[in-house]
Amino acid sequence: MMQVNRDSILVVSATILAFFLLMVGFFMLLGKPPFEMIGMLLTYALGDGYSISQTLAKTTPILLCALAAAVPGRLGLISVGAEGQLYAGAITGTAVVLAAPGLPAALMLPAMLTSAALGGAFYGYVPGILRARLHINETITTLLLNYVTVLWVNALVFGPWKDPASQGWPATISFPQAAILPALPASRIHLGLLIGIALAIALHFFFTRGASAQKIRILAGNRKVGEMFGLNFGTWVIMLMAMGGAIAGIAGIAEVSAIQGRLQPTISIGYGLTGFLVSWLSRHQPLIILPVAFLVGGLVAASDALQLFAKVPAASAIILQGLLFAVALAVPGFIKSMRPGYER
Amino acid sequence: MSADLLTLLGAWSIATLRSATPLIFTTLGETFTQRTGIINLGVEGEMLVGACVGFAVGVATGNPWLGLLAGALAGAALSCLHTALVLGANANQIGSGLAVWMIALGTTSYFGRVLVGNQVTPLPDLGSPLTDGLPFLSVFFGQMTMSVPLAVAAVVFAAWWLANTRSGIQWQAVGDSARISSENGIRPGIVRFKAILLGGLLSGFGGAILSVDYTQTWAQDMTKGRGLISVGLVIVARWKPALVLPICIMFGLAEVAVLRAQTAGWTISPHLMATAPYLVVLLILIVSHAMARRDADMPADLRSVFA
Repeated sequence: MMQVNRDSILVVSATILAFFLLMVGFFMLLGKPPFEMIGMLLTYALGDGYSISQTLAKTTPILLCALAAAVPGRLGLISVGAEGQLYAGAITGTAVVLAAPGLPAALMLPAMLTSAALGGAFYGYVPGILRARLHINETITTLLLNYVTVLWVNALVFGPWKDPASQGWPATISFPQAAILPALPASRIHLGLLIGIALAIALHFFFTRGASAQKIRILAGNRKVGEMFGLNFGTWVIMLMAMGGAIAGIAGIAEVSAIQGRLQPTISIGYGLTGFLVSWLSRHQPLIILPVAFLVGGLVAASDALQLFAKVPAASAIILQGLLFAVALAVPGFIKSMRPGYER
Repeated sequence: MSADLLTLLGAWSIATLRSATPLIFTTLGETFTQRTGIINLGVEGEMLVGACVGFAVGVATGNPWLGLLAGALAGAALSCLHTALVLGANANQIGSGLAVWMIALGTTSYFGRVLVGNQVTPLPDLGSPLTDGLPFLSVFFGQMTMSVPLAVAAVVFAAWWLANTRSGIQWQAVGDSARISSENGIRPGIVRFKAILLGGLLSGFGGAILSVDYTQTWAQDMTKGRGLISVGLVIVARWKPALVLPICIMFGLAEVAVLRAQTAGWTISPHLMATAPYLVVLLILIVSHAMARRDADMPADLRSVFA
């Protein structure tokens, strides 16, 4: 146990160090003073109350999408479908608001959130059933399906759902007050964050305690052994894929309702992929996802600010995330190969 | 048959082939890579980098062939990152592919900004006095560029090479078992490195064909999942280079049908129409999985990545 801990501390610190060096190199390539830029990144992520509220606003969808990837991830599935599920949830959640705009908040919010979760769940269920029944690789199907719901949102807001009063701008009507998720005053920190934290804690217990946790662990470790115990791999694939989808669906309607106030073409700036990265970095452990989502949320929020104030390209956020991903993949293997007595 | 019908047929055939061409190269490249037991989702990024660099060089030099070459080299260069992560650091292949994609997506949208709105010299068409005025052929060759015959030739050559040459058979052996092939004096690491590199080269070339030859524009994230589609199509083609051609043509036909339906004045939302290629690929994935004996043709070493 001690060995494991020492190893993971070594891996984490080496990953952070390598990422730091890559960031220095990246800013030097851009012709910006690297240490000043990294200092600014930290300031804009965590420097004051406003920065932290911006960071938490980005943390929310990233946290939910990370949990969406982690749930099937516990079974060893690689689902990269949170982006598409997020858009699916945004569509089905918005449908409730458009169908009954007069509902009081006490009915509206639960109905909207449930509908979004169901939409996302359906969008996880489809690749889940394809994997379970036909053995179609879930990574490929989820990636392909991502493109489809983004286009669906476009079709809806350019077409039947377009607010006639919005002139040329493709968007639905503004959500009525009852359909806006409650938020802290004068900030963008909304109920979605609370849902994300609660879900992370609940999932921690779901995956570590009780009979389901045991079953999932056995199936993830060795499917054949699990099936000898009478567990059905396919059923669990479908269930966990749908569960993950539901969580991403909530992320979608939360962005639409609390941040944008209406459904419009761009809901997400790649939160699905970012969430996948966070889940991967956290080895699909919900309680580790919490702080990692916060840190990566800070990176995304601060890149936004850096773009504004230091003329750093908008694409920096995704490049830095890609570099972080590459480093996190490379470091464990590299450390292993440095060990004495290691042979390939 | 009436001349009008022949002209229409010619236009459809060539449009289908041209839409399929970028995908043929990328799918062929990924087929090679997967035959040695490595999956590379980074082809999406390699295609994107190929499209971006190819277009930039094409614009800068005025020579489309130099653009295609540069695009292919850029794709190959990026694929080295996948090699380093997967073979060097023993990282998860799916994760590595996604990292490669993210880095490519970010860098091309940054460097590509200056390319938006530029014009590139296209490849010359193959129309000639020989075919002018002939039904079918005049349209067919008049709208064809060298990229199409090149793609067909590449497929034929790849199928022959993989089945009949010593190296081709070695590549297949590595895909079926790295362990056994290394016991027989093949070095699987080297073979896989070459296969990833060739995959990157062909993906970059496919991407450059897309921007320089097919659309003749650059736009951010212009491949829109074509690389990911090709990873799916490799499975549909049962890891056989020869099947890459018909499968990609099927995809091309779907894309052309969508474009034609739009110009024919169908009132369906263009955004909904644009979902068709992804749904078509999904559909053929489903049909092929339902029909094929499960994973029978899959390189054995790939099974550990997929399952």
